[in-house]
Amino acid sequence: MNSAVMKKTMYFFVLPALLFYCLFWIVPILKLFQYSVTDYNGYVQKFSYVGLDNFTKLFHEEILGLSIRNTLIYTFITVVAGNLIALALAFLLNANIRAKGIYRSAFYIPTLFSAIVVGFIWSYVYMPDDGLIASIMNKIGITGLDTNFLGSYSKALYSIIAVDIWKNIGTSTIIFLAGLQTVPQDLIEAGKIDGAGRWKLVRFIKIPLLATSITINVTLSVINGLKAFDYPFIMTNGGPGTSTNTLIFTIYKMAFTDQQFGKASALGIISFALIIVITSVFVFTLNRREVAA
Amino acid sequence: MKSWKSKAASVALASLFTLTLSACGSSNDNNASNSPSVSPSANASESPSASASGNTSEPVTLTMLVSGAKAAEGEDFELETLPKLVKEKFPNVTLEVQKLPDEQYYTSVKAKLAASEGPDIFLVFPKLANMGAIEVAKAGYAADLSDLAFWKNVSPAAKNDMSYEGKPYAVAKGMDILGTYYNKALFDKAGITEIPKDWPSFLAASDKLKAAGITPIVMGDKDPWVIQFGMYQLAANSVYPADPEFDNKLQTGETSLTDSKWVKTVNQYAELYKNGYVNKGSLGMASAQAVQQFVDGKAAMIFTGTWDLPGLTAKGAAEFERGFFSLPGNDAGQPVYASAATAAGYALNANSKHLDVAKQIFEYLYDVQSPLFQAWSDSNPSISVFNGVTLKNEIFKDVLNEIQSTGHAFYFSNQMWPAGVSDVMQSKFAEIIGGKKTTAEDVTKAMQAKYSELNKG
Repeated sequence: MNSAVMKKTMYFFVLPALLFYCLFWIVPILKLFQYSVTDYNGYVQKFSYVGLDNFTKLFHEEILGLSIRNTLIYTFITVVAGNLIALALAFLLNANIRAKGIYRSAFYIPTLFSAIVVGFIWSYVYMPDDGLIASIMNKIGITGLDTNFLGSYSKALYSIIAVDIWKNIGTSTIIFLAGLQTVPQDLIEAGKIDGAGRWKLVRFIKIPLLATSITINVTLSVINGLKAFDYPFIMTNGGPGTSTNTLIFTIYKMAFTDQQFGKASALGIISFALIIVITSVFVFTLNRREVAA
Repeated sequence: MKSWKSKAASVALASLFTLTLSACGSSNDNNASNSPSVSPSANASESPSASASGNTSEPVTLTMLVSGAKAAEGEDFELETLPKLVKEKFPNVTLEVQKLPDEQYYTSVKAKLAASEGPDIFLVFPKLANMGAIEVAKAGYAADLSDLAFWKNVSPAAKNDMSYEGKPYAVAKGMDILGTYYNKALFDKAGITEIPKDWPSFLAASDKLKAAGITPIVMGDKDPWVIQFGMYQLAANSVYPADPEFDNKLQTGETSLTDSKWVKTVNQYAELYKNGYVNKGSLGMASAQAVQQFVDGKAAMIFTGTWDLPGLTAKGAAEFERGFFSLPGNDAGQPVYASAATAAGYALNANSKHLDVAKQIFEYLYDVQSPLFQAWSDSNPSISVFNGVTLKNEIFKDVLNEIQSTGHAFYFSNQMWPAGVSDVMQSKFAEIIGGKKTTAEDVTKAMQAKYSELNKG
């Protein structure tokens, strides 16, 4: 405690960084709370305080429920489907197969592209009639199916979720793969000696030891799902209608198209609260289930 | 130890406090610099250098932010020609131009203006539209341009649409017309001999096309704003001729968007989708993809404006002659009204450090004799609002002559709406396209609800 390095005065050196942190991080967040009770329109500096009007209005509009619902569907599917597929891929890629390296890179490549590029490519893949999927289906003789993926109320949301999963699967797979490689060989051998079959090895040894990776992946994809914005923005503009409006997309549109920064800030605070609650529930429950090797 | 901790905490708190204070302080400054009481002194401190800069070589850098896409081929006027020609005339002036896609433009320019980092020259839209002249002038961001010399050459309507309290704040690029581009070859093939002049004949023509196995209309409704292109043409016939003051009454609350005239308009547009005249799956097609379908000869018509001419006359898979007419939303026996409005235009930043220099550039740019004006009007697809400039795109001649001889034209409806109403119109109408049970009444009701929420008089 008394070493020269740990002198209390050293804390003063933190001050400059702390100042910047406050200025560019804490103050804007506090500003958000301030704006949420005003009718600020984003660029005229004169605004008045309207109390909780923004919140009351939001709770009376269908857009709030709709975007929360869309966001939760988005999150649920990306978390469940994304992680199951990634886990399966990780097991496959961990097996002793030929040209493992090539497969591993292949699954990771989509992750390297920016969301803009991916969204743009996929809007052509999904294009009705002349898109990649539609023309392949035509070639192999499947006709009569509705290929209007992004333009249909019932399919648009799921179509963009599929793209999100496709793009992010690489990251989750890599994390699972790393986890799988840390499973000690002696535990597996001990299991084999005790007569465990392939499935039992996975179920009772590998998956429990992957708990840390599962926590990381699930948490990351929960956060990723809750702040979904890129694909609705690039691929569907929130449409058709409002059917792919996620929370963040709605905030963006409210702030910059409707020029209701105040109301958008209020929605921001609502989603901020929602995201904190959901994420912390996940982290706490998953943390408790982790076991150490 | 304890005392030290509390000291540190108080230092941190105090510094945070001053920061917040200074943040507030700076925003107060913003307010102050917008108010007229401060601006004269600001001008005074700059005017010596600015007035001198015309002949001396004091270097000045001006920034310019506009929206749009870079020209597909050849020189881009704003990004290349304009800075070059400005440099030739004013060797000491460097013009830095940035061009952003529409959506990003709105976001970026507003953030910059609000932070007092606004560009010296920027793009402003007419009347009440998003980034509309009235709004920008009210907020004190755009400079009053009434003292410039070229106004005598500009059509009064265009000047008026960019004015607030009688003073002009931006110079319109021209006039834009919303219309229907059509494929003459496909019209011939379907046996349509003359351009439809009223709503029943338009439906009949679409029917003929459909019967001949041709997609009558292609729209890229995945970019929902294209819904406006057909809708405003219909509104110009079904709403405004019966009540030219409709939008003013809307502001005072005398009427509302749920009026039967708007219900009729929405129903008319919906009819095109219900009858299957618009390509199936339009909600899944982007506007650029729809334009491609048109130039490839896969559909006979597309609704859009004069600004899309370069894209629509690009070379596609099929060779054919293009035509342009106003979508006739009128009942039989009534005249066709066109949907025409003042285009966006450049404005100057009222808080610019080099406002005088920027004004000199404007004088040069809008001087009908100058080579810069020539280059500007050559590159500009809009129809010029300057006296004595001849129409260069033959395709618009018929519609323009009609407008000029009869005066039968109304502006785009969203120019009198707060930004946001048209978005609701689009997303609600998309439900009709998507086959939901939404009715025209639902669409207008949602539009009116948004209008009441956003309209602050």
